[in-house]
Amino acid sequence: MVVLRAGLCPGLTEDMIQLLRANGIRTVVDFVSSDLEDVAQKCSLSYKALVAVRRVLLAQFSAFPANGADLYEELKSSTAILPTGSPSLDQLLDSGLYTGEVTELMGAPGSGKTQVCLGIAASVSLGLKQHVVFLDSTGGFTASRLYQILRAQTEDEEEQASPGETEAVVCVQLEALQRIQVVRVFNIYELLRAVQELRDHLSQQVVSSVGPLKMVVLDSVSAVVYPLLGGRQSEGLALMMQLSRELKTLAREFSLAVVVTNQVTRDSSTGPLKPALGRSWSFVPSTRVLLESKEATWDKATTQRVASLAKSPRQPTGIQVELDIG
Amino acid sequence: MQREVGTLPLAPALRARLAAAGFQTAQELLDTGPGGLSKEIGISREEALEALRVVRQECHGDAARTAGGSGTTRKCTALELLEEEQTQGFIITFCSALDSILGGGVQLTKITEICGAPGVGKTQLCMQLAVDVQIPECFGGVAGEAVFIDTEGSFMVDRVVDIAAACVQHCHLIAEAQQEEEHRKALETFSLENILSHIYYFRCRDYTELLAQVYLLPEFLSEHSKVRLVVIDGIAFPFRHDFEDLSLRTRLLNGLAQQLIIIANDHKSAVVLTNQMTTRIGQSQSTLVPALGESWGHAATVRLIFHWDNSQRLATLYKSPSQKESTIPYHITCHGFRDVQPPAVSHSTAGTELNPRKRPRTEEEKQ
Repeated sequence: MVVLRAGLCPGLTEDMIQLLRANGIRTVVDFVSSDLEDVAQKCSLSYKALVAVRRVLLAQFSAFPANGADLYEELKSSTAILPTGSPSLDQLLDSGLYTGEVTELMGAPGSGKTQVCLGIAASVSLGLKQHVVFLDSTGGFTASRLYQILRAQTEDEEEQASPGETEAVVCVQLEALQRIQVVRVFNIYELLRAVQELRDHLSQQVVSSVGPLKMVVLDSVSAVVYPLLGGRQSEGLALMMQLSRELKTLAREFSLAVVVTNQVTRDSSTGPLKPALGRSWSFVPSTRVLLESKEATWDKATTQRVASLAKSPRQPTGIQVELDIG
Repeated sequence: MQREVGTLPLAPALRARLAAAGFQTAQELLDTGPGGLSKEIGISREEALEALRVVRQECHGDAARTAGGSGTTRKCTALELLEEEQTQGFIITFCSALDSILGGGVQLTKITEICGAPGVGKTQLCMQLAVDVQIPECFGGVAGEAVFIDTEGSFMVDRVVDIAAACVQHCHLIAEAQQEEEHRKALETFSLENILSHIYYFRCRDYTELLAQVYLLPEFLSEHSKVRLVVIDGIAFPFRHDFEDLSLRTRLLNGLAQQLIIIANDHKSAVVLTNQMTTRIGQSQSTLVPALGESWGHAATVRLIFHWDNSQRLATLYKSPSQKESTIPYHITCHGFRDVQPPAVSHSTAGTELNPRKRPRTEEEKQ
């Protein structure tokens, strides 16, 4: 609902706007949906001028339908599939993370969500040499662990390298670390501001800090949204939907893969686990992966995890693979 | 800046009115000006000015702010973070096994949660950490001060005196062995009175007091910038009794967790919380799990669970972003939190070494 303002399009002058406003037409929607002959009579404006203005406004503000074949061609050329660094997870996600989509990882505390995110960030930065933006809202990002994962991924090269080459390998690892930008956001407004800044940088194509960005990881979305939902707060849901719209626009417009982590809750102390943030959020990610620990209790230590597909546009749900986050 | 009006931190009623009037982006608000805004929406001129000030701060502040201001987005590359982490100290616990599974000790800028059954040693560890955070840097500590927020009333000053005296004694022994100038200088300020005067103690009796205290903590911490540890002993206690509305409890806890993370991050301190255990009754068996529910489990970055195995106390690292899960035994002596001595020595001394104030767990009592 854009307010009519002088200069919005040629032909829309200040006097015109005053006359329209006096008759209750304030926004573009009001203007376009009203009967122009009626308006011409009431405001004593020229009918031709009004029709011309309406045509320009429609061209500016409406969405245009696209041909299915054109859309397919465009997707084929702009979508990339990013490997996650773990072959079993790639298999679960139909060969990797698709750009242009939001993928969600959910799990109980300690199930390995942050570890998988670090692994994916390391793989994209090291393997594809692309930039990654990591939005951390829980304080769980540990750079030394990321470095450990990077070293594990370049293990073969390190073993075979001679002393002169080891330096080069270390250099590669440090460069990979530099391509990962970490932003710490601890409440919803900071998060929205960070996403907005990212969008501005990308649309102005400021190459300085962001570079060829391919992935945005948000760990975790429920930490910032949970305090807003429920009770007598009315704007929590609206803010959550704003956030989801920003993330999806980011993914779609700039061909990024957006990875989000979420918590799980139970209805009662014995009920089954279900993803947090409710039904409204469940429509936002196109793919959902549930991470679980293989052992049910906490007194047996293990690094094995089971990932199962809970929602996917391409694969049958219910597939399970085993992951090692060690 | 094409920031949407819905994403600005304004009051909900104001936001609703702006949306009804047709404003979409922050730029439109700024263009209209306070006079036009107050006419369009029907608010007073002061309110319009206030709203525009907030909008301007959100949109234009980034260029003017320098890195490190409290309102900026905290951005850096992973490489810079790695360098920062490598120079950051840990708060040691005097139990080397526990320090090694934690990766060096309690980490600064992270929230560590200690869960355990009653009597297993959670408050003991908290008191030990409140003393250990003050160890001077030349002895391997972080030379900081401590804030102790007590909700259960289990903070015993005479016990802290014992622990502090043992710690000072330990440092004296190191200084004598090493004979370095800086050790001697540091020991002049590291005395019992000094240690006790740098533990800031707060007593909160119910959850409102606790929430208020955490809300006021950032101001306190900016005045006392040397604080490197915030302990909340008993975060479960005020939230478990006398709370009818469970969804409100979850919301408050999540908000509290976010505030604590902000405190840990901005002031570079470690936040240590203690939690109680509750029983989850499954189909065939019941297990002991940390209290406060599933969603609280996500609040802490590092989670330690203390439990008993016959008469041996064990600590399990259950959740950590950088360390593997593992279990180690520990001991609580009259000097504080310590390692378990190798088996040859400990059998005979185990009975006498235990803290005389805690009732020892013996075989007869368990039956």
